[in-house]
Amino acid sequence: MREYPTKHREIVSLLLDGKFMIYPNPLFGVLVENDEDYIEFFKKSYDFDLIIETDFAYLSSEDVNEKRTRDFTLFLAILSRELDYSGKNFREKIQFGTFDIQEIEELLRQSSKWEILEKTTVADFEKFIKTWRSKNLLEVNGSKFKFTKAIKLFFRFAMEIAEEKLKEQNILEKE
Amino acid sequence: MIKLSGKQILVFLQVHYEFVKEIFDVSKPDFILDSDTLNKYIEEYNLNHERKISITKLIDVKFCRQLPTKDYKVNRSYIDFLQFLFDDFTLDLPETLKERYKTIFELFSKLKTADKTSKIVVLITNIINVIDVFLNDIHRQTQRLLIDTESLKVNANEYSDLSKRLEKAIFWIDEYIEPLNKILEKGHPESFYSAIVEIQSYTSEKRYVAESYKLKREYAKLYASTLYARTELDQNLQKLTRELKPLLDRIKSDSIILSGFYHFVENIDYPEKFIIPIPHPIKKTKGNPIFKKFDSEAQFYVDQFNYKTADTFYVEQVEDLEWLPDSTYFKEQLLKEKGVSDFYKWCFDILKQHTEEITLSKYFTITNLLLEEDLAVDYNSDERNEIILDDAILMMPKVKIYERISNKT
Repeated sequence: MREYPTKHREIVSLLLDGKFMIYPNPLFGVLVENDEDYIEFFKKSYDFDLIIETDFAYLSSEDVNEKRTRDFTLFLAILSRELDYSGKNFREKIQFGTFDIQEIEELLRQSSKWEILEKTTVADFEKFIKTWRSKNLLEVNGSKFKFTKAIKLFFRFAMEIAEEKLKEQNILEKE
Repeated sequence: MIKLSGKQILVFLQVHYEFVKEIFDVSKPDFILDSDTLNKYIEEYNLNHERKISITKLIDVKFCRQLPTKDYKVNRSYIDFLQFLFDDFTLDLPETLKERYKTIFELFSKLKTADKTSKIVVLITNIINVIDVFLNDIHRQTQRLLIDTESLKVNANEYSDLSKRLEKAIFWIDEYIEPLNKILEKGHPESFYSAIVEIQSYTSEKRYVAESYKLKREYAKLYASTLYARTELDQNLQKLTRELKPLLDRIKSDSIILSGFYHFVENIDYPEKFIIPIPHPIKKTKGNPIFKKFDSEAQFYVDQFNYKTADTFYVEQVEDLEWLPDSTYFKEQLLKEKGVSDFYKWCFDILKQHTEEITLSKYFTITNLLLEEDLAVDYNSDERNEIILDDAILMMPKVKIYERISNKT
């Protein structure tokens, strides 16, 4: 039997809880040091892909059809749009800023896109915030919240969509 | 008016400052207006101002001239001055700048071979002027780009069409910032910066060794001019590389994110149109380390037996060769003890005398004696002992047991 790192059980249970592991959590360092072993461990034991980024890690599975993740992306997309419209540097604000839960709910409710959000889990905003706090995508402190480093995953998703769209348009233009 | 004086022009600009500013703004960037538009602005202006203006007056002060197409073009000298006055410059393509600064190389080559003092003086004056013009150009470009970039960043509403915003950021980076960087690049032998450094080192020596005092003075002027140019260039380079480029890069990538989100929101009900799959972090999973394919593989294994008719199995009775006394025997033994201080341990010990294999069922056969009515039990102690059986480990309390006195009497 091979030897596992001392914090093996904590690492496995945190990730299996569907949580993001964020640097500087000491477990993240252990995970990175043993990245190849853990990637194999999660693949062989659960058929999950362990994704390790520069400053966060999470388990991913193509079989998971999480509507809540779709809702979170939708929330982030509309929040970015509203911040941009109000002249703020949305990316800087989301990556480094702190938000008031009530103010953001108000901002979203005033958005013309609320009609989409109200049909999702974002409608119960406090519960929505709690859900994503439990997954380590948000940090909550009293009535305030901020995004963790894992938010970059969703920004990259948006960039990839846009880049694909641009490629499509370029192809269309060439034709 | 027979001859136009500078003072007349300045008075015209001062009196009709608002009109001039308005025409400057609306005719940008080519500074050409059709005659109807110009007449409309003149009429509107005259309605609210005591001192009137007319096309004739504008032509008299050389503010503009009429083109063969009947349009009006603002005079170049006014344009340059007004751009400086309003701190509002139009962008020249870097190619245009490049052509301009190449003349410095030509003039400098001529200077190195010139032998007549008068020729040297003229060349030096020309080089100083070209450097000045070029520095002015670079400064204007940088200012214009800074203002426009800020506006692109702040006025999101004006640039709410993300693709336009993105297009503009990419255009500025590719067409202006990168070529400007190349023109100013320090390490490149054909850059403007290299030309300045070369002239500086040449004049640095010449200002001491030139033949006459006049020439030394001229070389010293050119030397000073190159020193100033380097400082100016460094400042502009800093603005370009440390402020403008990162700002435009950010606008570019931010716009990309926003347009990606836009496509995502627009196609929210058609996930197949996302092109890129949405991130799929897992849900909370039970900590059960069983490979999930096990289920299907086990099912497959079981299924292969399904087609067979059911077989009947007869379970053979295994004859138990071991003989143990019944509970009556053990009760007798217990009574003989005249009181046992640790009943459960006694049960274990007495069983041990009759069998090597002490199982739960055998052990409980004896411990059931506890329920006999003629035996009294004392549970006072909290102490527990570990009893290790073949098929279980029990933590049993220490209980006293003895025969009821009433039974004896």
